[in-house]
Amino acid sequence: MADHLVVEHLTKVYERGDVLALDDISFSVEKGEFLVLIGLSGSGKSTLLRCINRLIEPTAGKVYFDGIDVTAASSRDLRQLRRRMAMIFQQFNLVRRSSVLTNVLSGRLGYVNPWLSATHQFPHSEIKMAMANLERVGIPEQAYKRADELSGGQQQRVGIARALMQTPELLMADEPVSALDPATSHSVMRYLELMNREDGVTVLASLHFLSLARRYGTRILALKDGKIVYEGLPSEIDEARFKEIYGEEAEQVEVH
Amino acid sequence: MAKRPSRLKSTKANSLLTRLGAIRPRLFAFLLDWASWGYVAYAVMFLINRYWFVRYVNFYGTLTLPPWGWPLVVLATLELVVLSHAFGHSIGLSLFGLELLTHSHRFPTVRDRASRYLWWHASALLLPVSLWRSGRECLLLHDVRSKTCMVPLAEVKDELPVTKPRPWYLTNRGLMTVALIGLTFWVGWLTTQINLQRLFSRAPKSAYLWKALVTPDFEHLAMPDPELKDSIMGGMLESIFMALLATIFGGLIAFPLSFLGARNIMGFSPLGWLIFTLARAFFNVFRSIESILWAVVFAVWVGFGPFAGVLALTIHTIAALGKLYSEQVESIDPGPLEAIAATGARRWQVVLYGVIPQIIPSYLAFSLYRWDINVRMSTVIALVGGGGIGRILFYYKGQVGRLSNAWNQVGAVVFTIVAVVWLLDYISGRVREKII
Amino acid sequence: MKDRYYAGFMQEKPRWMRSLADLRGRLFVFITDAIALIYLWTMVSYCSNTFMFHTKSFVTLPWWVMLLVVIEATALWENFGVSVGMKLLGLRLTSADGSAPSLGDRALRYLTWHFSGLPLVGVVAAKDGQAWHDRLSGLRVVGAEDVETERYPWYRRSWSIALLVLLIVTLVTAMLVTRVDFVKFFTGAPKTGRIWRAFLSPEWSLLGDGIRLLIVTVFMAFMATLFGVLIAVPLSFLAARNLTQGLIGRTVYTIVRGAMSITRSIEPIIWAIIFVVWVRVGAFPGVLALFVHSVADLTKLYSERLESIDPGPVEAIRATGANKLQVIIYGIIPQIINPYLSFTLYRWDINVRMATIIGIVGGGGIGQRLYQYTRLWRWSEAGLLMLLIMIVVWMMDYTSSRLRARLG
Repeated sequence: MADHLVVEHLTKVYERGDVLALDDISFSVEKGEFLVLIGLSGSGKSTLLRCINRLIEPTAGKVYFDGIDVTAASSRDLRQLRRRMAMIFQQFNLVRRSSVLTNVLSGRLGYVNPWLSATHQFPHSEIKMAMANLERVGIPEQAYKRADELSGGQQQRVGIARALMQTPELLMADEPVSALDPATSHSVMRYLELMNREDGVTVLASLHFLSLARRYGTRILALKDGKIVYEGLPSEIDEARFKEIYGEEAEQVEVH
Repeated sequence: MAKRPSRLKSTKANSLLTRLGAIRPRLFAFLLDWASWGYVAYAVMFLINRYWFVRYVNFYGTLTLPPWGWPLVVLATLELVVLSHAFGHSIGLSLFGLELLTHSHRFPTVRDRASRYLWWHASALLLPVSLWRSGRECLLLHDVRSKTCMVPLAEVKDELPVTKPRPWYLTNRGLMTVALIGLTFWVGWLTTQINLQRLFSRAPKSAYLWKALVTPDFEHLAMPDPELKDSIMGGMLESIFMALLATIFGGLIAFPLSFLGARNIMGFSPLGWLIFTLARAFFNVFRSIESILWAVVFAVWVGFGPFAGVLALTIHTIAALGKLYSEQVESIDPGPLEAIAATGARRWQVVLYGVIPQIIPSYLAFSLYRWDINVRMSTVIALVGGGGIGRILFYYKGQVGRLSNAWNQVGAVVFTIVAVVWLLDYISGRVREKII
Repeated sequence: MKDRYYAGFMQEKPRWMRSLADLRGRLFVFITDAIALIYLWTMVSYCSNTFMFHTKSFVTLPWWVMLLVVIEATALWENFGVSVGMKLLGLRLTSADGSAPSLGDRALRYLTWHFSGLPLVGVVAAKDGQAWHDRLSGLRVVGAEDVETERYPWYRRSWSIALLVLLIVTLVTAMLVTRVDFVKFFTGAPKTGRIWRAFLSPEWSLLGDGIRLLIVTVFMAFMATLFGVLIAVPLSFLAARNLTQGLIGRTVYTIVRGAMSITRSIEPIIWAIIFVVWVRVGAFPGVLALFVHSVADLTKLYSERLESIDPGPVEAIRATGANKLQVIIYGIIPQIINPYLSFTLYRWDINVRMATIIGIVGGGGIGQRLYQYTRLWRWSEAGLLMLLIMIVVWMMDYTSSRLRARLG
């Protein structure tokens, strides 16, 4: 019961193209950890994250969240579980034509009265909360703009604010910074770190660059071809390990 | 990502269904070529009949063959297809991307081709059996015997030696295309009774018509015609409102239907597939019948008048907009949907917050566009009792011979239509540009 | 605008010119609002006339009464709220310090407007974009982005209420004009029972005839499209803005485009009426009508595609010293061949559909027979023909969309 999130023998086969995306993955995450997934593009990081909240149905294996079996949950229970684990995305996945505020409020859809939400009306307390969260990510003045008027970094911060609206226990970040430039990357990563430290949110982030993983992660999980090839502390990854994960020709790139 | 290990694969590799699936492009190419040769045969028979047998054939008088003639035509076209498949690169083969190669992926010799052609006859008779027995796509009887095979070009492109392509007039498909177009043109000219001589000889006679049309008589533009009890402007307004109501009613009904006709919303479950197919079939069937034909039915239903026109336009609008809308739903960005689903939202909340904001602008644009078309359609729907400006147009046209200035009045109506349609087209174009 | 020119060569625009630009904006706003109100007035008149006096008329009071009321109402609207015109141009009324104006100031501006805005004197003689009534009331019109305004919900904004009222009034009038009658819609349904029953048992003995008519119909569409393409392709080069330069080019462009858009806005059926008079009843006038409409439509589609070609290759080929014809052959045609083919297929599709109805006015094809049968209430025969039409149109639609998808 000590473990917050447990993944057991998770396997995913994509029917189309006969691809084995995840091959018997098992690991567990403790509360308050900042676990970083690393690996090449196509190594299965995104699939793994999406299998945990079942945006993609896993082929086999189990996922337990606080002892509840996510893979066996009914659609009603699944919604309850998804409320507790927020997610942010590589391409931000905002509704581009809606306002920033509506985008942030949509993080609350699992909580509010569904009939009220059908008319695009939210209670005052929710709107206040949304403004507070936008304040927290530093863009309160953008609330009424359309989402596609914002820069990439700002859009990702809206994504974080949307995640914050769920008051999550677990935050999954699918390559949150790979569409951003280095400076913006760090500012976004720092918000994740803040959530992790201050709110005690467990973070499960997939990252492209090892240097970012070293800087922010408390533990690292490396995937290659759908298998776990390394699990341990960030500091323990040396040149040999690096070559094993990223292939022989790879060079380490620093992101400052 | 890793290739799936072999133990997971090949559970169904040998089923009949897979084999049928594998020869599907071959079959389609064959049928297409057969159809085009059949068409050539039809055209040739038509021309022979037209020029030799009967002097004045009815435009469909091609079908005067003795009883043995039909089987002969069928067999002859069949042989031609097989020949063109064995010795060249037919239209069907190139459309479905197939190439005739030997088993070692070389270009076959003439000998190979001839043997393939001959063996085909045996193979065709045994097709069910050989299909049942063969393991892979390439192993029908004539494939085996002639050591050649139809291979999907995309798979072998890199292995083939680079050859200089022949000029199009020396290829099977180039010649065939030219023949098809030429024959169609020839037969079409005869069936539609195109008569340029009449067009020019009668031109002076139609001059008075043009003269009247370009000197319109705007007497009843705003003043109601006492006999008709309506003015041109009144009729135009009626048309515009008919189109508007039809667009609004149609849009409101098409909106929910469009989600049922979108693959990405309905998913791939059997029920979803069924609803999707039904919705798309509905759109296609109702779109294929022009609204003027619907007006005939509705004129019986609710009586002559603009309401019948509104209903007729509505039916067609539902189908046309439904199709456009659902294609729009299919092309939305799936990212936000995923994000909203991940917050624990229900399926309909995902649609409400993720899908609808993305599609509203293009929906508006399509509806405006449709309004435009509906105004244009509503100008002629009166022909069968649908009301609108057409009523006035056809009234004046019916007065030709009774009123000396009837064509001038028609001209006035046409001028009004042109002005209004042009204006609406311009405005809706500008607004659409702004929305999207 | 200003930054695009070198400042040293620019002279300060004279004052009247600046206030002219200002005048244009103000006129636009005023006229838009006035038109909206006039529209509202006439539509409401129509509705009330229908309901109260059972007459069909768009005027109730003399026109000058309406004009007076509309002008006053527009002025009131623009002074006491955000009107539709102001919303369109993104304008707001504020006091000098940028705060929301008081009711007294608004009233003052409304009153003074009669002396300065109505005869336009105060606007033309404006200083710093401030008309007389602006200066007298101490208010000014500024861009919406320059002021902090409170966000009202839609039901507290006058322009959105106005739009809603316009929409509702339009709907009501439209229903009255087109005599929408849902009672009849439901009570009349049984009358069509006979039609549907007949459709379900089509007259199969007509099949042979139907197919022959269908062949003629498809050929009509083919001939019209083919001739249409032959004319439209060269015309499209004359109707593309980026290829027609210079005085002559521009004139040709304008004439071709204008003629085409006039031709296009007349339905093929109306064209067929004209051609039936010209060359007598038959398939030929149908072909001619479809041909004329196709030329207009294809020229528009083609030339719009020509206008959006990538200028890069054209420039590169011109740079090699090629002449105009060579530029067209090597730089332009490879870019447009696939879109042209796909537009042509699309148009063929439309022509088949149109050819099925053009017979109604004597244009030949299957429509002529279909129309005769419906006139005689022989629905079984009509049902069969409709079924055939459905099958062919659906097949055409399917093949042409598949081919177009392949052409990209």
